Amino acid sequence: MKARMELVCPAGTPATLRAAVQAGADAVYCGFRDETNARNFPGLNFSPNELAEGVRFAHDHGSKVLVAINTFARVDDVDIWKKAADAAVKSGADAIIAADFAVLDHVARNHKQIRLHLSVQAAAATPEAIGFYAAHFGIRRVVLPRILSLQEIAALNRAIGVETEAFVFGGLCVMIEGRCYLSSYATGKSPNLNGVCSPPEMVSYDEEPSGTTARLSGFTIDRYARGQPVGYPTLCKGKFKAGGKTSHLFEDPVSLNAGGMIAGLKAAGVTALKIEGRQRGKGYVSEVVRAFRKAVDAVEQGGDAVDIDRLLAGQSEGARQTAGAYEKKWR
Amino acid sequence: MTQHNAGPILPRFVRRLFPTVAGLPLGPLLTLSLRSLARRRPGLFERLGESRSACFGIDPVDLAFAFCVVPDGQRSSVRVVSKDEAARSDVQIKGPLLTLLGLLDGTLDGDAMFFSRVISISGRTEAVLALRNTIEDAELRPADLLGLHGTLARCVDKGVLGALGVARRLAHNSPSEAQQA
Repeated sequence: MKARMELVCPAGTPATLRAAVQAGADAVYCGFRDETNARNFPGLNFSPNELAEGVRFAHDHGSKVLVAINTFARVDDVDIWKKAADAAVKSGADAIIAADFAVLDHVARNHKQIRLHLSVQAAAATPEAIGFYAAHFGIRRVVLPRILSLQEIAALNRAIGVETEAFVFGGLCVMIEGRCYLSSYATGKSPNLNGVCSPPEMVSYDEEPSGTTARLSGFTIDRYARGQPVGYPTLCKGKFKAGGKTSHLFEDPVSLNAGGMIAGLKAAGVTALKIEGRQRGKGYVSEVVRAFRKAVDAVEQGGDAVDIDRLLAGQSEGARQTAGAYEKKWR
Repeated sequence: MTQHNAGPILPRFVRRLFPTVAGLPLGPLLTLSLRSLARRRPGLFERLGESRSACFGIDPVDLAFAFCVVPDGQRSSVRVVSKDEAARSDVQIKGPLLTLLGLLDGTLDGDAMFFSRVISISGRTEAVLALRNTIEDAELRPADLLGLHGTLARCVDKGVLGALGVARRLAHNSPSEAQQA
């Protein structure tokens, strides 16, 4: 019999970590309050002390804590990333999620007691790439990039010797997992180096005669009529004029929901299911985790699938959902 | 600045009480309360980072006045100011009083209130985000702001949150008053 799938849930603050654990997370992932993780927003994330307390709370309730140190280290500042890894180990966390060779190498050489998970930021999607990371750094799990179909994941799992973790809910990145040159061009900051693709200090909402204009670094990303719901301006989900038409050029505001594919992911050999959203609040995390807990338990017990699409319809960006690449219908 | 949609506007009889309340030394009382909170929970203010020295203009649309809040730990200050002065702050947060209080005690989700335009923000977005994340983690109860503990704290929390709940229901049931506000 295959092992029970692990539900891996996001936490941007200690309060959200506790909420995720209490809602039924098997593991919670989080990061430090600096550029070493890919959700480096103001007021978000953990100090080393908060992480240690969070780990104690999670372990007391039977959950694990995975620490994301998953941005790419700068040539002249690798120590920041090494110290973050050391602090994660000291906190008693269960695993470090990393993508950069320097970070992976540091952990593999100096902290053999902690599990290493390969971050989605590494975008490793072939047996050869994953085998390289396993052979050189001893990674135990790979977080799969959101470009693979169920059939491809099943084939990959047959060819590799480490666990796989697949995203099932939350935001999608149309670039190669955060390698967004468009964002770097517009803001001068890189999602993979600075940990945020639309830095809030460069975001503005300007009231104009025709309505509200959301801008990033002075570039107009979207316009909203008076009273129309607004969104956070990210370049890939903005409306642009091209070929005489105004439309969402790169991607519609839509969220991944693979809740209906849990059984398929289990059959494909996936070990863990990941919910995106460390920047989201306690209410959101609690609701999404509770719904997925119910759905995963139903699949594990061989019961009927839970109507998770209906349960979570209001939680998706733009109130629209997609099964992403799992079904290969996504453009 | 984003234009806001209708939220739960205070019932008229409550709004009539506010000129009296405005005569009280609200600013100094709230300043003491915030500094007392900073003594008890210094970590809460660290989460604000550089934004702790920003001036947050909080403008309850159903009151005749606004607040200017600098959440700088034990150097925090709250001033009752005119709406014009609040509009010149580093950050402006505008919405119905009951909604703003709901954000503070965690009853309401800040993202949802902003994206649906029940509240509006303008100014330094990074400071707003830092404040939102700080409040999200703080899990503040009314008794925390009053520095109360034990049974008294539980009674005050129950009383205040209950009263706010009733006020929200009254506000939702009084659309005509909301439109007059």
